[in-house]
Amino acid sequence: MNESEVSVPLPVRLRFGHAAIQHLADGIGADLLHIKGAAVDPSLRPGGAAGTDVDVLVRPSHVEVLDRAMRQHGWRLYSSFENGSPFGHAQTYLHDAWGYVDLHRYFPGIRVDPSRAFERLWKDRQEIEIAGVGCRVPNVVGQAVLLVLNAARSPDRARGDVRAVWAEASEPRRAEMEALVADLDAPVAFAAAVGRLERFRGERDYRLWKIVSKGGSRSAEWWARFRAAPTIGMALRVVSRAPLVNVDRLAHRLGRTPTRGEIVAEFFRRMVRAVREAWLAVRHRGARQ
Amino acid sequence: MTRLRRPPGVGLVTDEAALYAARLPDGPIVVLTGVAALIWSEACAGDRETVAERVARATDAAPDAIRADVDAFVTDLVARGLLE
Repeated sequence: MNESEVSVPLPVRLRFGHAAIQHLADGIGADLLHIKGAAVDPSLRPGGAAGTDVDVLVRPSHVEVLDRAMRQHGWRLYSSFENGSPFGHAQTYLHDAWGYVDLHRYFPGIRVDPSRAFERLWKDRQEIEIAGVGCRVPNVVGQAVLLVLNAARSPDRARGDVRAVWAEASEPRRAEMEALVADLDAPVAFAAAVGRLERFRGERDYRLWKIVSKGGSRSAEWWARFRAAPTIGMALRVVSRAPLVNVDRLAHRLGRTPTRGEIVAEFFRRMVRAVREAWLAVRHRGARQ
Repeated sequence: MTRLRRPPGVGLVTDEAALYAARLPDGPIVVLTGVAALIWSEACAGDRETVAERVARATDAAPDAIRADVDAFVTDLVARGLLE
């Protein structure tokens, strides 16, 4: 057989990525749901599947065992829960054959306990075949809700999703989606995506979703996270993380592991940026008064 | 009669350009185009002993001229765990 290097189209590689992680999960008894990309029902993505990675939502109690198995089979950690996203919801891995996988331990915007949320989506799961392997996915209503919640965090890229799965949805479908949003206690993020956020001005996570969906300074985002945290302990954890340097991101920016000196320098750069943003915000408020 | 099949731990994707197969969860992805993809398909479609004849029919080749190469290729696919 010819061993010469040939390029494999990204959509093909991603389909194998779904199949590979499902096969691995089946072997160790880990539950996961494929979300986004090739796992999305064609009725929700008239333009076809897109994306540059594989996304899976894992039963929270199975995250550790799956993480261990992935590392044993060639997936390297690219960014951790702590450093990947400000929500701390997903961890990214890179595999030489399959490309990127985002492993979600919960989905931003859903306020019920992550284990309960997973169980709710798992209860209605379906199975589809990707690259010849049976992969578990949320049912179509669950997929639609997750696409809308995802759009709340990436309004430009995912505006088409909101139009296809919500604005153009039938009344019965909308009712099903709203019932699931209620079960998952995700009304504010959902509203942020579909243009109803102002109905939730009194909610603790209103400011967070306003900033996430409309944009805002980094310091404003951290302050909003502090306010959105349901407990004092979680709020303090948010604060303790705020000034930390995202070492993974710095490493990717530099293209190598940063030195201790570069991490320290980045720390002070972030501090200066936060102070400058705070100062500009104060000036802006002052100018309006 | 021996009929080959794709084992449960092997993923398969096809598009207009090629047939892609990979052992899961480690890979790599093997890309089969043209006659290689045809041999895979015929190997999964009937008796292993007659793969060369069926490939010859589809390509207007003389069975005896391609038999050794086809058999070697099928043997290689089996050795790699891509067919069983």
